[in-house]
Amino acid sequence: MITSNLKISKLLKEFPDALKVLLKASPHFAKLQNKLLRKTLAGRVTIEQAAAIAGIETNDLLRELNETCMAGGGSEQGDPYSEVIKEKKEQTFINQGSVDDFASYRRSYLDVRPIIDSGRDPLKDILSKVKTLLTDEVLVIINSFEPVPLYSLLGAKGFRYFTEKIDDAYKVYFYKKDWAAEGAEELPDNREKLPGNITKQIEFENTIEIDVHDLQPPEPMMKILENLQRIDERSVMIVHHHREPHLLYPILDERGYKAVCNKIGADSFKILITKKTR
Amino acid sequence: MQSSLVSPAYAPPFRIVMKYFITAIVSFFVLNLMLTFNYSSFSGNHFQPKLLSITHIMSLGWITMTIFGAMFQLIPVVLQVKIFSEFLAEIQYWLFTIGVITLVYSFWFFLVGLPLLIGAVLINAAIIIFIINITVTLTKVKEWNITATYLSAALFYLLVTAAAGLLLAINLGYPYIVGNHLEYISYHLIVAVVGWVSMVIMGVTFKLVSMFTLTHNFSIKSGKWAFGLINTGLIALMYELHSKNQVLFIISSIIIAAGIFFFSFQVYVIFKGRIRKNLDAPLKFTRTSFIFFLLSALFGLSLSISDLSGIINIKLAFGYVIFFGFISMLIIGQMYKIIPFLTWYHKYSSKAGLEKVPTLKEMYNERLCHVEYYLMLAAVISVPFFVLLKLYIMVLLAFIVMLVSVVLFIYNMIKIMVV
Repeated sequence: MITSNLKISKLLKEFPDALKVLLKASPHFAKLQNKLLRKTLAGRVTIEQAAAIAGIETNDLLRELNETCMAGGGSEQGDPYSEVIKEKKEQTFINQGSVDDFASYRRSYLDVRPIIDSGRDPLKDILSKVKTLLTDEVLVIINSFEPVPLYSLLGAKGFRYFTEKIDDAYKVYFYKKDWAAEGAEELPDNREKLPGNITKQIEFENTIEIDVHDLQPPEPMMKILENLQRIDERSVMIVHHHREPHLLYPILDERGYKAVCNKIGADSFKILITKKTR
Repeated sequence: MQSSLVSPAYAPPFRIVMKYFITAIVSFFVLNLMLTFNYSSFSGNHFQPKLLSITHIMSLGWITMTIFGAMFQLIPVVLQVKIFSEFLAEIQYWLFTIGVITLVYSFWFFLVGLPLLIGAVLINAAIIIFIINITVTLTKVKEWNITATYLSAALFYLLVTAAAGLLLAINLGYPYIVGNHLEYISYHLIVAVVGWVSMVIMGVTFKLVSMFTLTHNFSIKSGKWAFGLINTGLIALMYELHSKNQVLFIISSIIIAAGIFFFSFQVYVIFKGRIRKNLDAPLKFTRTSFIFFLLSALFGLSLSISDLSGIINIKLAFGYVIFFGFISMLIIGQMYKIIPFLTWYHKYSSKAGLEKVPTLKEMYNERLCHVEYYLMLAAVISVPFFVLLKLYIMVLLAFIVMLVSVVLFIYNMIKIMVV
């Protein structure tokens, strides 16, 4: 039974057929053909969020997925779940704000479309931008699809959001409401209203990036192994390398980590290292 | 964008690789002893039993043995395939080692009958096993590259060299070659040095040297030109042996030299684009060896188009620059990179990140490596002059300097492997 809170990455791993369903459902899912993004973006996105991104009904998508992947098992069981979904949806989007809240704020723009097009995960850029955001600034993220997972992710950090669609692009405003007036008291409150386990659900919340371009063998391997312990269930390590580190893989495997390598160019590889699940 | 899920490990077969390397290093030491104690035989033409013996322990025991080990180590890493059969590599090792000992012994005491033939047959058997093993391995390569192209050509020349060597060995005991025996020797020598050894070195350079100089995204255009030119020159030279056309000989020499110029330019591009500007001692060895390669090309070209070859000892001087200045310095430089790495991977990789492990530089004495470099450089530069000036005592002195350098090299290698 495929449920709405299943992560897209797990879905694709367990049911490879699901990719076809997703591709059929919306052109937005074409990005999932890129394995790197599948590993990073899709690891954070649930089916419910994915449906919201694509602008389609969660239940329709779930029914379609269950019919294809579970060989006709779960269509009539779809309804009990829709209740849960509605409830969750309201909780997730509780931090929705309005345009009046940040009318006086200065705007800081971040267009993530080129980042995603180049095959990178924009989360790191977004989070670093969030960190440097001033109290009277609003972060404006421009994207080709609605970045639904960000609502809850940044919501957990006390941000409210407001989304507008202009032609094919989405502009999402992230801000903290009247920082000076509400102060620290409001924020924990706000967080409590969110589903308590929301941060736990988010896979790969942390990205550890390592660049070993300018290291001679075996220094890249040493550096990677030294940093392995920083990877926990919610983290992904991205290694920028000048070649594919074949000799590293057996060691990673032995220590309970797995790696996916992406060739970006002739002398440019990106290796994603995560903890093995179970 | 391309991605690959990783499961197979292309780890090089450590034990076999080290076996080849250690035997090669022992050969290098022995040949330097032979040279030092028989320095007086280092004169005249190259057709002297003692010199033939030394040439073959050099080319087979030291150089080819190293190449075999390096191939088994590098092919999995560079071409991402597993070596077809480690068992064949093991068989090949024993056939080759016994073959080389027999051959070198036979030359030394000039036992040109059956002993020499047995040595030659064993070596040929080992080489055929090697060629089969590597050819099958190469057919599994998914991403073909310039290194694989060079290696394929090198395999062909290895076969030609070995076969020619076998014919020469038979001929020494049971003369059958009509015409000038010596011409077949120079043919055997040229194909061995330019076809087999240099072709392997060039092919591996693109990957190996750039891996340690950390040069990325460089153009390999000159490398491709070098490949085309050198092979054209070699094929023309092979034809020349039968047609005996002096003009063709000169033309093919020029083409080969041009190929080496292109290759040298390629090496220059790799060194120029490196990220770390400071060269460590092993890379100094490497850079200097390529300079000697270029000098050898110039030297060889002038020998082929002029009457210089009439000068007494000039071919010895030429050979010394190629074998010690170019090939040996290159091998030593690369061994200082590969052997610590292999040992490190074998001993420490499973501990790295969990406990303190040494860095490569901590595994050997780099200061000694520098001393070794200057001693060797001094010997390589001075031997050709002394031998041309027939100052044989000075030649002996230079050989001793070389021997000291080799002892330092062995000390460091033992330190890496044992400590």
